[in-house]
Amino acid sequence: MNKRLNIALVGQANVGKSVVFNYLTGLHQHVGNWPGKTVEKAEGTLFYKGYEINIIDLPGIYSLTTYSIEELIAREYIALQKPDFIISVIDGTNLERNLLFVLQILELEQSTIIALNFTNLFQEKGIEINVEKLEKILGIPAIPIAAIYGKGITQVLDRGIELKKIENKELKIVKIRYGKEVEREIDKLTKALGTINLTYPKRWLAIKLLEKDKEIEKIVGSKLPQAMEEAKKSILHLEKVHGHDSSIVIAGERCHFVSEIIRNVMKITKPAEMNLNDKLDMITTDKIWGYPILFFVLFSVFGFIFTFGSWFSGLIESLFSNAQIIYQTSLGNNSFAFLGWAGIESLLGLVTLALPYIVPFYFILFLLEDWGYLARVAYLTDNLMHKLGIHGKACIPMLLGFGCNVPACLSCRILETKRERLIAGILTSFVPCSAVSVIIFGIAGKFLGIGWALGFYFFNFIVILVLGKIIAEILPGEPTELIMEMPDYRKPHFKTIVIQTWLRLKEFIFIAAPLIIVSGIIIQGLYRLGWLTIIAKLLSPITVNWLGLPATVGILLIFGILRKELILVMLATLLGTVNFASVLTPIQMVVLTLVSMFYIPCIATISALCKEFGLKTALGITIFKIIFAIALGGIVLRLL
Amino acid sequence: MIKTKLNLLKLKERQAARIVSIVGGWHAVKRLSDLGLTPNTLIRVLKKAPLFGPLEIECRGSRLVIGRGLALKIFVNLENE
Repeated sequence: MNKRLNIALVGQANVGKSVVFNYLTGLHQHVGNWPGKTVEKAEGTLFYKGYEINIIDLPGIYSLTTYSIEELIAREYIALQKPDFIISVIDGTNLERNLLFVLQILELEQSTIIALNFTNLFQEKGIEINVEKLEKILGIPAIPIAAIYGKGITQVLDRGIELKKIENKELKIVKIRYGKEVEREIDKLTKALGTINLTYPKRWLAIKLLEKDKEIEKIVGSKLPQAMEEAKKSILHLEKVHGHDSSIVIAGERCHFVSEIIRNVMKITKPAEMNLNDKLDMITTDKIWGYPILFFVLFSVFGFIFTFGSWFSGLIESLFSNAQIIYQTSLGNNSFAFLGWAGIESLLGLVTLALPYIVPFYFILFLLEDWGYLARVAYLTDNLMHKLGIHGKACIPMLLGFGCNVPACLSCRILETKRERLIAGILTSFVPCSAVSVIIFGIAGKFLGIGWALGFYFFNFIVILVLGKIIAEILPGEPTELIMEMPDYRKPHFKTIVIQTWLRLKEFIFIAAPLIIVSGIIIQGLYRLGWLTIIAKLLSPITVNWLGLPATVGILLIFGILRKELILVMLATLLGTVNFASVLTPIQMVVLTLVSMFYIPCIATISALCKEFGLKTALGITIFKIIFAIALGGIVLRLL
Repeated sequence: MIKTKLNLLKLKERQAARIVSIVGGWHAVKRLSDLGLTPNTLIRVLKKAPLFGPLEIECRGSRLVIGRGLALKIFVNLENE
C-alpha cells in the first residue's frame, strides 16, 4: 500500500509553475472546475519513492487577498484542505516581488518549500542568490531548480517528504515579524479572536482584518462581532500613526521585510550590454515598430493557420470521401443507417475543423504566450481594448476567437472581474471564427473579390467596437485597469505547450462533440422527414420577403447552427452547383454572408457561453445575434 | 528644494521617482501594494505605450505594466539622479 501525500503548487503568473506541474504529472492530470466556480482546477497524480502523490495546481495569482475568485480559491484550499506541503514556485530573476507572495503563503502557517526557478538564467543576468541564507531567514527549505530542463524538481519532492517526516513529530512554524506598532495590533486582535472557531490561523485572521479583507471581515463579523469592533480600533490607530491606509501599512512592512531579505541574500552584477532578448523586447514594444511587427506576426499566424488548415482539412475530407459510399453499401439506406451516418458525418466535420484549424491555433498561441510575446500584444492593444470596456489581457480570447469561439469563450477566465469576462465573452462570440472565415472566403472572396472579403472583416471589427462600447456603457461597474508583469522573453518549453494544447483540445471536444453529434442527427432526421422544407417555408417571410434570399436559405441557416461552414456545404448541395454566381445575385451573396457571420453562435459556442456565463446570458446573446443579423441583412439589402 | 507631488503619468520615459501615496479604491490600492508598489518605493518609468496606452515601469527588480487609469492614482516625487 502506497502512502498518500497531498501537495499544492502555488505561484504567480510566469514563474514556470505549469512546467513544474507538467514535469511531475505528465499526462496523468485532469482539468476540471472548482465546485461551483468557473475557475479551472488542475490535478495530477505521481508515484514517487513509495508515495502516491496527489498534486493540485492552484491558480496563478499575485496575492492571497481576495481580489479575484482565483485568489480566494487558492487560500481557501491551503487553509481548509491543509495539503501535506506546499511547493511555492518562484521566479529567481524576480525574487523580490515573488518573496512578497511567499510571505503571504507563510502566514497561512502550512509547511512550505520554495522551488527557486530560472536558476539557468542567473549567470547571464548576473544574479547571485545565497540560498542557504534565504532558507535560514525564512525558516523553510529553498531548492534551486531549472524547470524547463527538469533540474532540481525531484529534490523539491525529496525535501518535502523529509519535511513531512520531521513535522509529524513536531510542527515548527516560522513567523514573519512586522514592525512594533503593527505587531502590537496583531497581538491585540489575535487575543480578541480568542474564542473564534475557524480553520484559518488566528494570527493570519488578525493580519487580514488589518488589511481590510472583505471576505474575512464577513466571516469574522458574523461569528464574533466584537472582534470587528476591536479591528476597527486597531485600524484607526495604525492609520493615525502611519498616515496611510492600514492595508498599505501592512503591505509596506511586508515590502520592507522583503527588501531586507534581498539585501542579505542577493547580489546583482549587471551585465553592461543588452542581450538578444532585451533587444527583441525593445523593438517589439517600440512606439513605432511595435505595431507593424504586431500586425506582421498576427498576419503570419492567421495566414499560416488558414493555409495549413485548408490544405489539411482537404486532406482529411479526401481520406473520408469514400467513407459514405462504403457505409451505405454495407448498411443500406434505411432510416436508421441514415441517422447513424448523420452522427458520423457530424463527428467527421468536427475532426476536420479541430485538427487542421484549432490545434495549430492553440499551439501557436501557447507558444507565443510561453515565449512572452502575448504580454507585449496586451501592452500594445490595451488602449484599443479599453475602448471596449476591457483591457489588454482580453487580446488572448479575442485572438483565440478567430480560430474557434469555444476556446475563446472559455479563455475569458483569464480576466479578473465578472464584468470583464462577460464583456469579453459576448465580444468573442462576434469574432469571425475559422468556419465563418470559410464562408467569407468561399462566397464573398471567391465570387465578389478579395476586397469584399476584407471589407466584411473590417465591418465585423467595427461591429465589435461599437458593441463593446455600448455594453461597457450599459453594464454596471467600473472598468478594470490593466496590471500585469512584463515577462522577459524566454525559451518556450515545448512539452508544456504540447500538453496544454492537448488539454484544451480535449476540453473543446468534450463540450462540442456530444451536442454536435446529437443535433446533427436531429437536424438530418428532420431534413429526411421533409420537415426542414416546412420550416424553411415558415421562415420565408424573413428569408424571402425581408432578406431577399431564396427560400432554401432557411434550411441552410438551420444547418449552420451546427457548424457555420455547413452553410457553404449545404448551399452547394441544395442549389446543385458550386458556382454560386449562377444562382445568387451579388447582392444576395452579400446579404447571405452578412447573415451567416452574425445570425447565431454555433451550438458548441452556445454551450460554452452557457457553461461560463449561465443559460440566461447564453440565450440572451443568441437571441440578440439572431435579431441583429436579420435586421442588418434586410437593411443592407435595401441600401445596396 | 521643495518637491511637488505628481501623478505617475506626468513622468517622462526613463525618469525615476519615489511613491508618496496611492489614492483610490481598496481593490486598486491593494492590488498595487501586493505587487510591491507601496509608499516610499523607488520606481522608474521604462516606456509609455503610444496612443494613451499603458505604462511599463520598473519596480523592485521586475517590470510591470499598468494601465493609465491606475497610473493616475499613484503619486510620486521625482528622484534626483
